[in-house]
Amino acid sequence: MKSQQALKILLGIYIFIFFAYLFGPLVIMSITAFNSAEFPSVTPWECFSLRWFNEGKIAYDGQHLAGLATDWRLHEGLITSLKIGLGVVLLAVPIGLSAALVLTQVHSRLRTAFYSLSIMPVLFPGVIIGISTVVLWDRIATMGGGGLATELGRNGVFLTILAQTCFISTYCFLIFVARLQRFDQTQEEAALDLGANQTQVFFKILIPYMMPAIASSCVIAFLASFENYNTTVFSILSDQTLTTVIASKVRLGISPAISSLALVIILITLTVTIIYEVLRRREDKKKKEIEAEALFAQTLDSRLKKAKPNGFKIPKSIFGILFFVVVCIFGFNKMVEKGMYGSTCIAATEKEKKSNFADQLKLLQKNAEIANQRSSESGDVGEKKEFDSIFGDPNLFKDFGGFDSKTPKED
Amino acid sequence: MKYFFNKNGPLISTYLIIAISFWLVFLIIIPQLYMFDLSFRPNIPPLLRGGPDDVYTLTHYKHFLFGSETSGESYNYVDVGVFKDTLLIAVLITLINLCFCYPIAFYIAKVASPNTARLLIVSLIIPFWINELLRSFALRILFAGEGFINNVLLKFGLIDTGINFIAMDVALYTGLNYAYILLMIFPLYNAMDTLDKNQLEAAEDLGSSMLKTHFRIVIPHAKAGIASGCTMVFMLTAGALATPVVLSSPNTFWFTQLIYQWFNMNDNWPRGAAYSVVLLSVSVVFVLLMMKIFKVKIGEIVR
Repeated sequence: MKSQQALKILLGIYIFIFFAYLFGPLVIMSITAFNSAEFPSVTPWECFSLRWFNEGKIAYDGQHLAGLATDWRLHEGLITSLKIGLGVVLLAVPIGLSAALVLTQVHSRLRTAFYSLSIMPVLFPGVIIGISTVVLWDRIATMGGGGLATELGRNGVFLTILAQTCFISTYCFLIFVARLQRFDQTQEEAALDLGANQTQVFFKILIPYMMPAIASSCVIAFLASFENYNTTVFSILSDQTLTTVIASKVRLGISPAISSLALVIILITLTVTIIYEVLRRREDKKKKEIEAEALFAQTLDSRLKKAKPNGFKIPKSIFGILFFVVVCIFGFNKMVEKGMYGSTCIAATEKEKKSNFADQLKLLQKNAEIANQRSSESGDVGEKKEFDSIFGDPNLFKDFGGFDSKTPKED
Repeated sequence: MKYFFNKNGPLISTYLIIAISFWLVFLIIIPQLYMFDLSFRPNIPPLLRGGPDDVYTLTHYKHFLFGSETSGESYNYVDVGVFKDTLLIAVLITLINLCFCYPIAFYIAKVASPNTARLLIVSLIIPFWINELLRSFALRILFAGEGFINNVLLKFGLIDTGINFIAMDVALYTGLNYAYILLMIFPLYNAMDTLDKNQLEAAEDLGSSMLKTHFRIVIPHAKAGIASGCTMVFMLTAGALATPVVLSSPNTFWFTQLIYQWFNMNDNWPRGAAYSVVLLSVSVVFVLLMMKIFKVKIGEIVR
């Protein structure tokens, strides 16, 4: 018994570590969005600020770091992503539905082949789907000779919609297949017997039955399209979606603006998940109540009929949320007390940084002067001096041999 | 065919046929075939296409194996090396993910109470829906030279100078592990969920040790889930592009990055296509291998 207890504790610790691993990076990233420093970090905490959500900042060395609200490339990317997502939903959901319907109607031997072909796109690496779409459409565009085909073949948004539809249709297909497996075909037969035609059966019986699956596949198709990078990066050509903008930003250098973007996305995801979960629980509860009522109705013995628990029960999760809010308020107060929030704090750190930067600049200039004195006997002062004052140490580029090859070799 | 039309009515039949043929033929089959064809073509400007120079050639595959003709090496150790590393690491990451996720999946499926299990699953889904790029970015913040981990280690005096996790590829491997870990948990959980708890209790009553129970009962039962999880994780890891873009060091390449280079920077599309075909064929071989090893059908792998 004792060893089992120990095992349980170990398992608990393991699960805790696992979830810490899963959420830790996301939490830390979210926190860095509120740090005013231009490198996303937690430990050298400068000031609590919302600048990365708003205007970003002009760094002390004159570099402009855009914030979330002022970054037009991000906005354009977002709009393109939304367009693509919409297009993919409009294409992939009907395709997935039709494939699932046909799967129920083909013969068993053909069925396996059809099924294998349908799920293949999920197994293809995403880059390959993007590449194959692009090469094919490039060919079509060249053959199109300037007509509509050329226009479409060179349109990144169109290509991305096609490429993403290729594999997102499979996601929808799988959702529909799962739902169709529980479909009662006698409903269809009954409707046909009562004189409905096939089109009516489709719209009056099948579609209403599939509605939950259609809704969830719309959501999944949109999300999958929205977060896709591997396929999009090839098929988008010269356009930009949100993900490709993020990727190019990350590659150029990381900024807390991306953290703030991530936080926004996390919060949206969280809200959607919670709403979905609450709705599902409510539905489950209803189902259970109906079942229980049916059972009660069958029971004649009144002793087995339990009184319904009345009264409003407070869900436990509210306490958790309350606790979180209290901690946030408390922490924020502490920060204000310590002067880690607001413009004064930012001004103070900026000043300090500027002076640091000025010190460094002075040091560089001093180095440059010394170097100038040393090389002044060569008499060559024109453009070389400029380079010196930029790079400080003239020896840095001694062996570079590029633009200041005129420098006399010292040996 | 007539039966099909009778069953669905003319309107719906047309819709079904158009939608499916558009998808299967136009989006799946033709692009892949054309890419395959292109990989055997020389890299020539579009104007010369269809001309006398446009003949089938194996140059691109040769280049992958042996490098350019001017190099004196016996084989293309850069590209083949990258390819080998990519596959090896993808396999390793798959195995590590499997070991990581097995206890969690088992806990959620069989040990936890239904409410806890539900809560855990929901909280697993949340990070899954956050962009892969952003998740990699989160790790980048942790692993950067002045990042969180280095700062913490420095603060506690465990190290004197910052460790360059990105150059050591620690960041990349962790990122790849982190990115697809959930695609291992869900298939495992789904497979284990159908296991009858009574079987476990019976095994315990009959005196089987825990390890033995797992090897004799749980793993055989969950083999479809294991095959499915391993395939998905391997395919996604080997074909990953977002995570390597964010987390790989400048001198480490992932195979997809090579493809990307041939396509977008060197403008050699046929060669990019050839490299893609190489990646695709490995993926197909891996799926077939998994189907053979675990004796499952392809339908059980993708759910």
